[in-house]
Amino acid sequence: MSELLKTDKLTVCAEGKELLHEASLTVGEGETHVLMGPNGAGKSTLGCTVMGSPEYSITGGRIFFDGEDITEETADKRARRGIFLSFQNPVEIPGITLSEFLRNAAEQLTGRRIKLFEHKKELAKAMAVLDMDPSYGDRELNVGFSGGEKKKAEILQLLMLKPRLAILDETDSGLDVDAVKTVSKGIEEYRRSVSGSLLIITHNAKILEELNVDKTHILSGGRIVREGSGALAAEVLESGFEKYIDGV
Amino acid sequence: MGTTRLNILPVPTFSKLGVNFVERDISKYEPQELVIAPPYENPVRADVTGSTDIKLTAPENSSLTVILYIKPDSKLMLDTFLSASAGSRVRLVQVFEGGGQTVSRLTSELGENASLELVQLYLRGEDTVSEIVTKLAGRGSAFSAEIGCRLSGSDKLDLNLIAEHTGRRTASEISLGSVLDGSAQKTFKGTIDFKNGCGGSKGSEHEDALLMSESVKNRTVPVILCDEEDVEGSHGATIGRLDEQHIFYLGSRGLSEEKIYELMSRGKLLRTINKINDGAVKQRIFDALGWEYDD
Amino acid sequence: MKQKTQVDDIDRSLYDFRFEENEGDFLDSGITPEIINEISDEKNDPDWMRQHRLRCLEVYRRTPMVSWGASVEGLDIDNIVTYIRPKTRMNTDWESVPDNIKETFERLGIPQAERESLAGVGAQYDSELVYHNVRKEVAESGVVYTDLEGAMHDPRYAEIIRSHFMKLVPPTDHKFAALHGAVWSGGSFVYVPKNVHLEIPLQSYFRLNAKGAGQFEHTLIILEENSYLHFIEGCSAPKYYEAGLHAGCVELYVGKGAALRYSTIENWSKNMYNLNTKRAIVQENGRIEWVSGSFGSHVSYLYPMSILNGRGASAEFTGITFAGEGQDLDTGAKIVHNAPDTSSYMNTKSISKSGGKSTFRSAVQVNENACGSKSSVSCESLMLDNISRSDTVPVIDVKTDKCDVGHEAKIGRISNEAIFYLTSRGLTEEEARAMIVRGFADNVSKELPLEYAVEMNNLIKLEMHGSIG
Repeated sequence: MSELLKTDKLTVCAEGKELLHEASLTVGEGETHVLMGPNGAGKSTLGCTVMGSPEYSITGGRIFFDGEDITEETADKRARRGIFLSFQNPVEIPGITLSEFLRNAAEQLTGRRIKLFEHKKELAKAMAVLDMDPSYGDRELNVGFSGGEKKKAEILQLLMLKPRLAILDETDSGLDVDAVKTVSKGIEEYRRSVSGSLLIITHNAKILEELNVDKTHILSGGRIVREGSGALAAEVLESGFEKYIDGV
Repeated sequence: MGTTRLNILPVPTFSKLGVNFVERDISKYEPQELVIAPPYENPVRADVTGSTDIKLTAPENSSLTVILYIKPDSKLMLDTFLSASAGSRVRLVQVFEGGGQTVSRLTSELGENASLELVQLYLRGEDTVSEIVTKLAGRGSAFSAEIGCRLSGSDKLDLNLIAEHTGRRTASEISLGSVLDGSAQKTFKGTIDFKNGCGGSKGSEHEDALLMSESVKNRTVPVILCDEEDVEGSHGATIGRLDEQHIFYLGSRGLSEEKIYELMSRGKLLRTINKINDGAVKQRIFDALGWEYDD
Repeated sequence: MKQKTQVDDIDRSLYDFRFEENEGDFLDSGITPEIINEISDEKNDPDWMRQHRLRCLEVYRRTPMVSWGASVEGLDIDNIVTYIRPKTRMNTDWESVPDNIKETFERLGIPQAERESLAGVGAQYDSELVYHNVRKEVAESGVVYTDLEGAMHDPRYAEIIRSHFMKLVPPTDHKFAALHGAVWSGGSFVYVPKNVHLEIPLQSYFRLNAKGAGQFEHTLIILEENSYLHFIEGCSAPKYYEAGLHAGCVELYVGKGAALRYSTIENWSKNMYNLNTKRAIVQENGRIEWVSGSFGSHVSYLYPMSILNGRGASAEFTGITFAGEGQDLDTGAKIVHNAPDTSSYMNTKSISKSGGKSTFRSAVQVNENACGSKSSVSCESLMLDNISRSDTVPVIDVKTDKCDVGHEAKIGRISNEAIFYLTSRGLTEEEARAMIVRGFADNVSKELPLEYAVEMNNLIKLEMHGSIG
């Protein structure tokens, strides 16, 4: 299994505070990884930094994707390599509809023109998987969407853009039981159709119950304190973090 | 010979800001007259290429749509007078494409329960001075304006909109979306004027200006004049570049910054363009903008 | 049946009182170069100041009246006596101030304020600084707080005053700036040295106490690098039959990294013309905060202006204007972004009642060199009845794309739901309205030191007092 994503002693700061300290992890092609940790551990920071968020500064270490150093690359370049981040709190963008946005993004990523008819068909299919009302396509991107609707819209984008690596940041938090089921369905569909890699950031993973987790990383106080197989995730779900973050 | 003051701000402000009025020489225009009154085809379509005085009358309880495509050969002055009688519903679309000096003045009077939906689009234009005065005199009358503008190069646009509420329970809703590039200059004066006696009225105005180059000049004067207690008025304006967070979000989906600006500026104009339910006119607009038209 | 508020005239007895007119020497009412020279003689002006006054008179004569805004027709400037000097000299000890003057200030609460750890009080009485007491701590920190005229003659400060006086507000700015420059009298000079943070607010009162006299005091405040000061200006005047005029000038220089908070409650009597010019210039990473409550005067023009002249400079303006019967208050603020990464924030509210007229006028200008700047303006107006007026005329002038400017404004009346909710909890309708208006004004009252907030709330209570018809 070849390495897809690798962070090498990644140290990240924002507003004068150090949020990640020498975090190193590797995600292979087709693998499903879980990143867990208590609130404020730096999980979102890691996800956003891999995606290239301007809010964070990398003060140490490098990021590699497919063996290439992407540490200095802009977000859109990284997206074109096949990295996708499902945001915890997606921003609202008035002035552009969800459908139009997806079509443009897909065109950018594939480098070819996509006929409107073709796009609408794909969109309808993806929306059906997620039980989304087709009218969402004509609504302005995330504007007025509830928390649950926003998360669904992120998974819809995942299905439409078909990245090689999908980083899901707290995709299940704040959702009711049915919504969690739908999001799970979406992730499963993504794995089935794309066989991409997943890095799932969570601290409360109901989502994981449906998946085969290859590796678990536990983050606390900005450091990766423990790594293990899928069983580790299951254990944390049962008995919590405490014994892994003691002494840190 | 001499200049006339146009686009006069109802309540003047600090003179140094230069927004109280503009001056233009309008002595040499020789307008043709165009009367639009029943019986007429609905919608009424007209191409305006030279100076024109248009008189529009919508009889009681009628429904009228007028689409004017204004593309001056060189200079032109357009005076439009609209009288919307009680209960009438008027849709007026004015598309201004390019041109030399253009002066447009639209004055509308709305009768009881009449409504005017105005859609205006300004696509380039060396020097456009446009005034929109709507008198909501009839009780229950309503006015909505959806205005879009795309300026680049050294285009200039001075827009003076006044919604005058005199009747009770009248409502106005004004929305302006602009995209400025190059060294374009735009001044928008939008006045909601609540006169005494217009109890129960509401007025709201919003401007969204996307500035895309460092040489643009944008002036916004959102005015509310209030002489009546029982009203609700609001206005808002957002001016500048795109939010960094927005750029990151859209960028994380593979869109380059240039592409993002292209999309967002399209989006702003589409808001206005989509209010024009006429395929032929939309095609013309897309052609003028150099966009591909697929539907 | 719609409820509309009816109000009686405001009870101003707390503020309306004056003394016999044996006070002071009155100069000829009109303004001629002879009068200017007389003023300069009296004050023993250095030559540069004499010449400055005469030049300003020139400019005043040449400048036409302001062509917009409230009418100043009722003001016959040539009949305004410009300079009155009370019979006492400057004092540092409260006890030696004459009785009637003391009484005036006692009624206004200055001794109380003095007792409560305020650093010093410069009280103006009829165009002169009468009482001045700078506390030891303030003096020891190197902060200079003294009367401007005296400081002009003091070799330690003469040069810094000369290089700053009316450079920020030149006489060519407008007619009343020129008038001010010609006949100015009294006012404070404050100098805060590098790195000095004065935690205690400095405050100053003005007072107009003779028929037809004009107030032309000049405040000059200079903050050196990384210093901090809170200055409070509050004023009042009794009622007259003839027009009273206040054409003061405030110049604030905020150095690199320094911060200045300038709070004002203006409560001039209802016959006053309050034409005041206030301006601040802020250097790199410096900050100016204006807190402004405008209650009194017959006509006022008040637009504090902030010039953000260094990278990262910021300005904040919080204001409330209450226009009651017979008042035409024209207030607002101006902000100029003249450097990169500057930011400004404006939060203003206005209340119109009993036929009063409130006009909010603002200008936010973002220059070509101000990339990365942000500005946010929020104005809200409350109409309390159907005979008053409220106009909002903001201008946003942007000359670069790399900025973020937002503006919003709202106007309306007190909602019936709010009245219902409060009355359902036992308040009378009148109490409910007063509470809502006080709450409406809290953007300012929460920024003021407690006794000023109390004074402001009292003012609102007085203004709101009336019967519901």
